[in-house]
Amino acid sequence: MLERRLLSNVPWGMVALIIGIACFGLMAVYSATYTPTGPSSLFTKQVIWVSLGIIVMFAALVPDYHTVGRYAYVLYAASVIFLILVALVGKTGMGAQRWLPIGPFAFQPSELAKLSLVLALARYFAEDPRRGGYGLRDLAVPAGMIVVPLMLVMKQPDLGTALMLLFTSSLVILLAGIRFRSLVALAMIGAVVATAVFAVPPVRTKIWKSLKPYQQKRIKAFLDPSSDPRGSGYHATQAKIAVGSGQTTGKGFRKGTQSQMAFLPERHTDFIFAVIAEERGFLGASFLIVLYVILLLLGVEAAKSAKDKLGVLMAGGIVSMLSLYMLINVGMAVGILPVVGVPLPLVSYGGTSILTTFLAIGLLLNIRSRRFMLFY
Amino acid sequence: MQQDSPEPVQRRLPLLMGFIILFAVVLFFRLWHLQVAKGAYYYELAESNRIRPIKIRPPRGVIFDRKGRPMVENVLTFDISLVPEDAPDLDDTINRLAQVVKMPPAALRKLLDEAAPVRNKYEPVKIREEAPWDEVAVVEARQEDLPGVIVEPEHRRHYPYGGMASHQFGYIGKVTQTQKKQEQADTGMLVGQGGLEKTYDKLLRGIAGRRMLQVNASGMKVKDLGIEEPKPGTDLYLTIDLDVQRAAEEALGARAGAVVAMDPNSGEVLALASHPTYDPNLFPRGISPKDWVRLSNDPGHPLYNRAVQSVYPPGSTFKVVTSIAGLSEKVIEPDDKVVCKGFITSGKKSFRCWKKGGHGTVSFHRGLVESCDVYFYTMGDRIGFDRVAKHARDLGLGSVTGIELADEKKGLVPTAAWKQERINEPWYPADNYMNAIGQGFLQISPIQNCQIMSAIANGGVFYQPRLLLRTRNRETGEQKTFAPVRRRELAMDPRVLELVRSALVGVTTEAGGTAHGAATPLGTVAGKTGTAQVIAQKIPGQKLTESTEDHAWFIAYAPAERPQIAVAVIVEHGGHGGAAAAPVARKVIEEFLKNARTQAAQ
Repeated sequence: MLERRLLSNVPWGMVALIIGIACFGLMAVYSATYTPTGPSSLFTKQVIWVSLGIIVMFAALVPDYHTVGRYAYVLYAASVIFLILVALVGKTGMGAQRWLPIGPFAFQPSELAKLSLVLALARYFAEDPRRGGYGLRDLAVPAGMIVVPLMLVMKQPDLGTALMLLFTSSLVILLAGIRFRSLVALAMIGAVVATAVFAVPPVRTKIWKSLKPYQQKRIKAFLDPSSDPRGSGYHATQAKIAVGSGQTTGKGFRKGTQSQMAFLPERHTDFIFAVIAEERGFLGASFLIVLYVILLLLGVEAAKSAKDKLGVLMAGGIVSMLSLYMLINVGMAVGILPVVGVPLPLVSYGGTSILTTFLAIGLLLNIRSRRFMLFY
Repeated sequence: MQQDSPEPVQRRLPLLMGFIILFAVVLFFRLWHLQVAKGAYYYELAESNRIRPIKIRPPRGVIFDRKGRPMVENVLTFDISLVPEDAPDLDDTINRLAQVVKMPPAALRKLLDEAAPVRNKYEPVKIREEAPWDEVAVVEARQEDLPGVIVEPEHRRHYPYGGMASHQFGYIGKVTQTQKKQEQADTGMLVGQGGLEKTYDKLLRGIAGRRMLQVNASGMKVKDLGIEEPKPGTDLYLTIDLDVQRAAEEALGARAGAVVAMDPNSGEVLALASHPTYDPNLFPRGISPKDWVRLSNDPGHPLYNRAVQSVYPPGSTFKVVTSIAGLSEKVIEPDDKVVCKGFITSGKKSFRCWKKGGHGTVSFHRGLVESCDVYFYTMGDRIGFDRVAKHARDLGLGSVTGIELADEKKGLVPTAAWKQERINEPWYPADNYMNAIGQGFLQISPIQNCQIMSAIANGGVFYQPRLLLRTRNRETGEQKTFAPVRRRELAMDPRVLELVRSALVGVTTEAGGTAHGAATPLGTVAGKTGTAQVIAQKIPGQKLTESTEDHAWFIAYAPAERPQIAVAVIVEHGGHGGAAAAPVARKVIEEFLKNARTQAAQ
C-alpha cells in the first residue's frame, strides 16, 4: 500500500519531467509515422505503450525496492531463459533474431535483460561485505553474470545491445568500486585486445568475418560515410542531412522533408532524434537534451540520497543505463558514433523499450521516494 | 538483507555526473555545428534530395531576313511520349500504346531500355516523334486507358526555303560529347552544328525551363511544385535580303558556284549563296546515316560553303588589283601604250592574249575595259609582283574577312620569297605575267573578291562583312541593333580610284567591254569579268569537259554613281566570265535596285 508519507515523498517534478519527455516523444512518433491517409496505427500503439508505461512506473513505486532486489536474480534468470528462447524460436528481422512473439506483440527480451542485469549486479555488490576496492579475481562472479546474456545477445546478433550491456555493467562495477591497479590492468588488457583486433591481420580478419555483412557495412560506413552514400553509408548520411537541415528553428511539425519523404530510415525508432532535430531545429533538439540531462542528474541525486548500498547501486546502475542509451542514440543520429541499433529512451517507438524504460524509471522514483525511510 | 553503508559508493557518483555532463556538452556542440554552423549546407542537401527538376526545352530563336521575313522557324509538332513512373501497370500501358502508334510492343520496350541509362526519373521517353494527328487525338481522348502516356508539344526547327541560304544557316544536331562539356549542354539537346546556327547558338538556344517535382526516397512523385517556364531563344534579323538571296540562287540555278552581295556602305551581306545546296531540314530530326553518307560523299560537296570556304584563281578580276598597284606606285601612267599582237614572248616562251588577233595599241583604260592580257603581262612585269602583292594584301587578300561563319579560307597571295620557300625556285618574269592576270599561284575566295569591289565603290573603307543586323528578345521585345564596324581604311589616291572606276563602268557599257551581259536599265553597273583557267594550256581542238572548263568570275558594284551593292559571282566551270557570271550578277543587282526603288517610292 502506498502510505501517505511515501506519496508526499514522491518527486513529482521528476514525474512531470518524465511525462513531458514522453509526450515530446509521442509527437515525434506521430510525425514520423504519419501516412498520407492520416496518423498511423503505430502512433496509436505507441500511445497505448506510453500509457501502460506510466502505469508500470507507478506500479514500480509500490513495493519496497528491497523487495525488487530480492527478486533480482529471479528476474535475471528469467531474462536469460527468454534470450535462450529467442535463439530457439525467435522472430527474425534485419538479419537478426531478436523478438519473441507473444500474441499480437513482439517481445524483445534483450531490452529486459539490460535492466535485469543492472538489478542483479546491484544486488550482488550490495550483499558483498567488502567496501569496494575489488581486484580482478573478485570480479569473476559478476563477470560471469555479464558474459551469459552478452553472449546470447551477440549470438542474435545484436551488436548494439551487446555493447550496451557491456558499457552499463562496466559503469556499475566502476560505481561498486574497483581497485585502481585492476582498472589499469583491465584498461591494458582492453588496449591489447583492441590492438590485436585492429592491427594483427589474422585476428582482424577472423573478427571481421564473424560479423554479419550488415554490421561490417555499418562499421565501414561510419569510418567513411561518403564511400557509398546510397548503400551502407545511407543511414548515417541521411540522418546527418536531416539533423543539419533543421537549422536553428526547424522546418516545423510534420514539415521535415527528410522524415516525411522517407529519406530517413528507421525514423520512428533508432533515428527519431533526427526527426526531432529536423522539425524542431537546434532549439528543440537541445531543449530535449537539456530535459534528459536534468532527468539524469535528478537520478544521480536519487542515488546520492539513497539510504543503503542497494539503493545507490540500483539507482546508479539505472542512471548509467539511461544515460548510455540517450547519449549513444543521439551520438549516432548526429554522426559522431557508428550506427548501432539503440533506441532513444521514452521517445523511440517500441513497446518493450518503452515499458522497460518506465519500469527502470519507476524504480528510480521508488528509491528516491524512500530516501527518508529506515531499514532494519 | 545485509545492510552496509552506501557512503563509499556515493563518493563515486560525481564520476557518473561528470560523464553525463561531458557527453551532453559534446552532443550540444555537435548539434550546433550541424544545425547552426553548417545548417544552410545541409538544408541544400535536403532540398536536392526531395526536389527533382525535369528540363523543358526552350524554342530556339527564329531567324528573319532584314525585312522581317522568317527564314528559319520553329514548327509546333507533337510527340507521343511515355513516363514509365506514371504507369501503374507498365506492361499494360506499353501494349495499349503500341496499338495506337502501330509499333510492336518490343520496339517500345527497346526505346525505354535505351533511354534508361541517361534519363532521370519522370523524364518522358519519346516513343513517336512528330506523331500524326489521328494518333495524337487517340492519346488525348483515351488518357484514362493510357496512364503515363503524354503528348509533348515540341518546337521543331524548320527551314521553309529548303536549301536556300542553307550554308549561312548551317544546321542543328544532337550535342556531341565534347560540346556537352564545353557548353554545359544537356544530353539530347539540339545545338547548332554549322553556320549561323552554330555561331549564334548561345543566343538562339534560350534557357531551359524546369518542371519541379517533389519526390520521396524511392523517387516517386509526391506533388508538382510548379513549372519554371523556359526562356525562348533570341530572334535574329539577318542582313540578308530574301529577294536578293532568291535572285542569286535562281540565277546560279543548277550550276556549282557562289554569289556574295554586300552593301559597300556598311558591310552588310545582302545575299550569300553557294551551290549545290543541301536541305537543312534533314538534320533537326537526326540525319539518317544514308543521307549523311550521300551528302558527305557527293562530288559536288554540297556541305561546303563556297562563298567563304573555297578559294579559286581570280583570273582577270585580279587585273583590278594589278591596276591599282601600278597606278598607285606610279609605275604605269594612264597614257602608257602597249602594243598587243595577240601574244608576247619572254625568252623562249610565248604568252597569249585571250584575243587571238590582238588588241592593237592599248593604253590603261582600254586595257582594263577589254581585259587585254598583253597589256597586263607588260605592266605586271614592269611593276614587279612583290609590289602587286602588297596592294593585294592591302585590299584584303590573303587574310580572312572575319565574317561570322566558320572555317573561312584566307587564300594565297604569292611573293618571290614565298615561292623560294615553298617550291624552292626563283621568281621568273613569267610569274609576273601569270599572276598579274590572276593566274598562277593566286587563290581568293568569292567574299574576298566582293570585299575588293566594295572598297573600290566606297573609296577604300573596309567594313566588317557581317550577317547579323539585329537581335530581338522575344519576351521583352527588346532589340539590339549592330552598327557597321569600320575595320580599316585604305588611303586610296582619288585619281587612281577615278581611273579604275571609269574603266569598270566601261566594261559593261563601252564597245569593247567584256561584260555587256551585266548591263541593266535600272542603273550603271561597274564590273570586271574573269575567266580562271582550271588547266594552264588548252590543247587546240580538244573540247573542254565539265571538270576542265574555266571558272567564270564577275565582280561588280552598282549604281556606279552612288554604289549601293557590291557583288562577286563565281560559276565553277562556267566558261567565260562575261557570258556565264555577268548575267548572274545582273539579276542580283536588278532585284536589289528594283526593291530599293519601290522602297524609295514608298
